Amino acid sequence: MKKILFFALLIIFLSSFAEKGVYAFQNGEGVQTENQLSENASLTSVPPVFMVGPFVLLLAMIATGPLFYARFWGKHYYKVAIALGLVVVFYYWFVMKDTGHLVHTLGEYISFIMLLGSLFVASGGILIRVDRKATPLVNAAMLLVGAVLANVFGTTGASMLLIRPFMNLNKKRLKPYHIIFFIFVVSNVGGVLTPIGDPPLFLGFLLGVPFFWFFAHSWFIWLIAVAIILAVFFFVDRNNKEGESDDAEYSGKIEFKGFKNLVYLAIILGSVLLDPNVMSWVPSLSPLPFGIREILMAVIMVVAYKTADSKILEYNEFTFDPIKEVAFLFIGIFATMIPALQLVAYQAGVMKDSLTTGIFYWASGGLSSILDNAPTFVTFLSGAMGRTGLDMNSKIQVQQFVASSPVYLQSISVACVFFGANTYIGNGPNFMVKSIAESSGLKMPSFFGYIVKYSLPVLIPVFFFIWFVFFRG
Amino acid sequence: MRTLDEVLKNNINGLYYGNRIILPFRAEILKAIIEKDIITDFSTTHKGAQYNITDKYTEIYFLEYKELAEEVSKYETIKLVVVEEGKDLFDFGNHRRLILHLKEKHYLKIEEANGEILFVE
Repeated sequence: MKKILFFALLIIFLSSFAEKGVYAFQNGEGVQTENQLSENASLTSVPPVFMVGPFVLLLAMIATGPLFYARFWGKHYYKVAIALGLVVVFYYWFVMKDTGHLVHTLGEYISFIMLLGSLFVASGGILIRVDRKATPLVNAAMLLVGAVLANVFGTTGASMLLIRPFMNLNKKRLKPYHIIFFIFVVSNVGGVLTPIGDPPLFLGFLLGVPFFWFFAHSWFIWLIAVAIILAVFFFVDRNNKEGESDDAEYSGKIEFKGFKNLVYLAIILGSVLLDPNVMSWVPSLSPLPFGIREILMAVIMVVAYKTADSKILEYNEFTFDPIKEVAFLFIGIFATMIPALQLVAYQAGVMKDSLTTGIFYWASGGLSSILDNAPTFVTFLSGAMGRTGLDMNSKIQVQQFVASSPVYLQSISVACVFFGANTYIGNGPNFMVKSIAESSGLKMPSFFGYIVKYSLPVLIPVFFFIWFVFFRG
Repeated sequence: MRTLDEVLKNNINGLYYGNRIILPFRAEILKAIIEKDIITDFSTTHKGAQYNITDKYTEIYFLEYKELAEEVSKYETIKLVVVEEGKDLFDFGNHRRLILHLKEKHYLKIEEANGEILFVE
């Protein structure tokens, strides 16, 4: 109760900016203001470097909390996240007198959490049971299906839809690597083909990148990355001998329950396009930091929960805890990363002549591993366009950039989506998938364990290969 | 004293009060999963959980939780791996996986894991 009250007070507090904010986030000018933010960052209101401190501290605590002071972290993580976020909020508000970035970030956070939350609740009312014996091939096939579905339901929707069936399929031989490869393929890498797949691509779409551009320019990279990761998974999974002696009979059937929730998912996905930037008839709710889309998602979230079959919720052990954890941690991450992103944008502007596709690839990817990948994408896109004197304000110029320098957009979009798999905090669904696995009794690796045992040996060579083949130079 | 099989067959409920659950049979607890906590250390030096076997029941205190009813939500469960007292602990065939549902009026519904709910041992 205390947490909810605290959270509600914070939202009210931050929402007060909306009335004073200089940016009209939902009035059809959101795309322009994003660029203004980048320009502001590079020209005038650059925060001091020490303001990155709260962000670094939050990341460090997310990494070390569950390892070294789990009891304190488990009880107080939300207070830490919000307190560190408030340090940045106060600095921007009172010292820099810059409420624009705060309002803009609040709008992004609300969009982020509404999309994640509604997909989480709607998919929680769906039951998929695969009555087959788990083999490395069946598992790889299921991950491949997930990689495709990530482009239809988004990485969050596909993850929530498939994680339990995937775990259930492997219940007699489930190991942490199953979950981690699931995070790699379904929660991240898979979703690079459409703007629905991952938020940065959706932002690109809002800015003027054609809907099917990502598919046309990334499908072969997607194929290579997914194929290599699945091949590694196949060999790892082949060495897992547990459950081999299982002589149970399987019907081979796939059971599906909760069709109405599919309709809810479709509405949520359709509502993603309900943006004044995409459809001019969509009313703006400016100066509120949310729009019709977020309201619709919230309504679907409530309706999906209230009308869900309780047996399915029981089977899925539905709880709001995973989304609550994401909501609290990411409110801190969104707030504290404002100065970090501004400084990156500033630096990109300073160094623009020496920035190659390779640098864009590694820099946007590296930051997407620990920052939210949507603003990272916008920051680097702005930097890439600035190199050739193009302005991200103009859809025509975005399309001109897309046609003249596709490799830059390709490198940024691939890196922002793929590198999110590097850590538990690289992408929203990573944390939720981890929480679901843990509440089923599976002990997952720590923050560093994930990076050292899985990201470094599996993902980094793949990302290096992609850089070497496509973005070297 | 009831056996675990009797409890399961006759749908006999356990109880819960605050952070304490009471199981109407005697058993060694090997593993408890509550929320995201996977507890295997029941020693008195660790603050995760402790259990006692009395003449007629087994009680577990989840020391990190004040009120189980507040923290374990409607559709969540507590999962236990137990070995009934008197059975050979080292025979994996005797390891029983139980799923506990917190119901109204302090009732604790006890059922054996049947594959419906994910339970990784």
